[in-house]
Amino acid sequence: MSLKNTLTIWFGKLMVKVLHLLGKDAGNAPGLVLWELNKDCLKAFRVDCPIIAVTGTNGKTSVTNYLNHIFESTGRKIITNKQGNNLDTGITSLLLNNCDMKGRVKADYLVLEIDESHVPVIFSKLKLETLVLLNFFRDQLDRNGEVETLILKVKKFLETFEGNVVLNADDPNVSRLGLANPENKNIYYFSVEKYAGATEKPYEVGEGKFCPMCGEELRYDYYQYSHVGRFCCPKCGFGRVKPYVTAENVRLDVPSVTFGGEEYKISHNSIYYVYNLSAVYAAASLYKFDKKVLHETFEKFEVNNGRLEKFKVGGSDLLVNLAKNPVGANMTLRVMNEHKGEKELLFVLNDNLADGHDVSWIWDINFSVFSGVTRVVTSGTRAYDIAIRIKCSGYDPDRIVVRPDLDDAMKEFFNTRGSKYAIANYTAIQPTRAAIKRYKAGLKEGASNG
Amino acid sequence: MAELKILHMYPSMLDLYGDSGNVEILRYRCRMRGIDTTVVKHELGDRDTDLSGVDIIYLGGGADYEQQLLADDLLGMTDKIKAAYKDGVYFLMICGGYQLMGQYYKDSNGKKIPGLGLFDYHTTASTNKRERCIGNIVIETQLGDKRYKVIGFENHGGQTTNVKTPFGRVLAGNGNEFGSSSEGYSEENVTATYLHGPLLSKNPRLADKIIAYCMTRKTGKEYVPAPINDKLETECRKVLLERLLKKK
Repeated sequence: MSLKNTLTIWFGKLMVKVLHLLGKDAGNAPGLVLWELNKDCLKAFRVDCPIIAVTGTNGKTSVTNYLNHIFESTGRKIITNKQGNNLDTGITSLLLNNCDMKGRVKADYLVLEIDESHVPVIFSKLKLETLVLLNFFRDQLDRNGEVETLILKVKKFLETFEGNVVLNADDPNVSRLGLANPENKNIYYFSVEKYAGATEKPYEVGEGKFCPMCGEELRYDYYQYSHVGRFCCPKCGFGRVKPYVTAENVRLDVPSVTFGGEEYKISHNSIYYVYNLSAVYAAASLYKFDKKVLHETFEKFEVNNGRLEKFKVGGSDLLVNLAKNPVGANMTLRVMNEHKGEKELLFVLNDNLADGHDVSWIWDINFSVFSGVTRVVTSGTRAYDIAIRIKCSGYDPDRIVVRPDLDDAMKEFFNTRGSKYAIANYTAIQPTRAAIKRYKAGLKEGASNG
Repeated sequence: MAELKILHMYPSMLDLYGDSGNVEILRYRCRMRGIDTTVVKHELGDRDTDLSGVDIIYLGGGADYEQQLLADDLLGMTDKIKAAYKDGVYFLMICGGYQLMGQYYKDSNGKKIPGLGLFDYHTTASTNKRERCIGNIVIETQLGDKRYKVIGFENHGGQTTNVKTPFGRVLAGNGNEFGSSSEGYSEENVTATYLHGPLLSKNPRLADKIIAYCMTRKTGKEYVPAPINDKLETECRKVLLERLLKKK
């Protein structure tokens, strides 16, 4: 190992040590400092095990957690960034925490979620074995630039990549990347068969309207959600691929889905979730797992952490879901509408740096589908913006209650009992979960005191 | 009952940053006053879009790629659009839509896209794609005899110059160029601006001004929109103006 690399590792380890001694969680900071000192710091690590990376706009954390669970169920030692921290600096910190003084990282597999824009920079320095590409939607545009810029970045990386690429065949933005390197034979598409909720016309605003190969308008047989569906270019034929894995017989009422002729019970009734599972199934198939592990995982494993997370609060059932873009929010509204009775919605919207300061994406959420929503509570730094958005979709403004402070919002939200749904964006999700837990703890305390 | 007709141009291409919300808001605020609205769409390749009876022409913002794709189609409509403008139809244009109605737009790849040439201004984007005016913005404009603060979000690489009658004076943010004092372009029947948000969501009086203009033009009688429940908007503006103007 070169002197520079040795010093990089030593210095990094020292930083982690000092932070631990100070009682601080190392988090992103050591990686941030190392990148400042040495742009090639990732090269100082020696990772001899295979790396599997998951990227895309929505579902990275969930798919990474599922894969991690599957690998760990069979006794493999995994290093993963379960909690996000998916930028170059976050990955550097993760490796620092898991390497010896020579920079050697000991594990059977690295399973990493990676921010779309950081795929090229990270894997020009670490050897990637498998890349799972879920979808490309509009997300935090003022930070990432337009979606197209992002796709081109990943495409450029794939042009010289020869490892496994697991791709969503039904998202034209992703599917096109299977053609980035014609020499690469390790292209594995996953697809989901038309489900009962598919529509002939797009139901929500999408991104992939024109053929990325020739510019012709794409023709869709049906849309599963957003711009994901069965599409084809009438001019150049783009879109006709043979999937490696197809999720068949999707039944959200059970809920269940069939892979390779076997029916799998699953734990959530959302098409979006079925796509995540298909990605998991395809990636897991490359590593030849016992189907029993997959059955157990699909039926029982929960990511929680604000991803379709269930809570019981003082006699109310609450489902909390992260939504950092319109597609995520629309999916939650669809899940909400699967519940036929009356319900209430809490929407927490922040505009911090990590959210993107621009909150205009909420206008791409389709609120006109509201049915049986008896009250809406809004919270967060942009509580009024989301309230106005919902009002202008035609919802009675007198049934919208704005409570920017989260604890106030919880008091308001839980002053009735019933079915409740909560949507929170990126920096809002953890504070929302914490506020729910605080409110629950307050209820218990009140009960034992009274 | 009165009815307003909105021509929404390239709704599936020029709909960045929730810009189509402006149409939704106009329709909502009309509905609250008992005014019916119809929306006519003009998409790329449509040949016989009928502009007769149109009261508002709306264009949202789009990415460079989309602007390139539709430039020729738009130029094909030059005569119809110029006639509508002369006839007093209201033009509401955001970002890319604003740029395309000028002389030209030179995009971040250095490619020159001809504008429709309805107005004298022109736009050049920095070839460094990272150089963009991005952030919350507050400007002050004149609505009738009153000043009105307009709140939005700007995100544009294009720098627009040769603007004779700007939409407003910048109180916080960039405007037509980096650190500019002026924002957008306006005439009696034109509002062209970089403000997303969408624009009308936080500026209900601007929306009402457009409705009043169109109704007055259509009916020949001065139209004053009746007040509606804007409690949320009023509170939102208070909170945001305090936050955005304090920074300075």
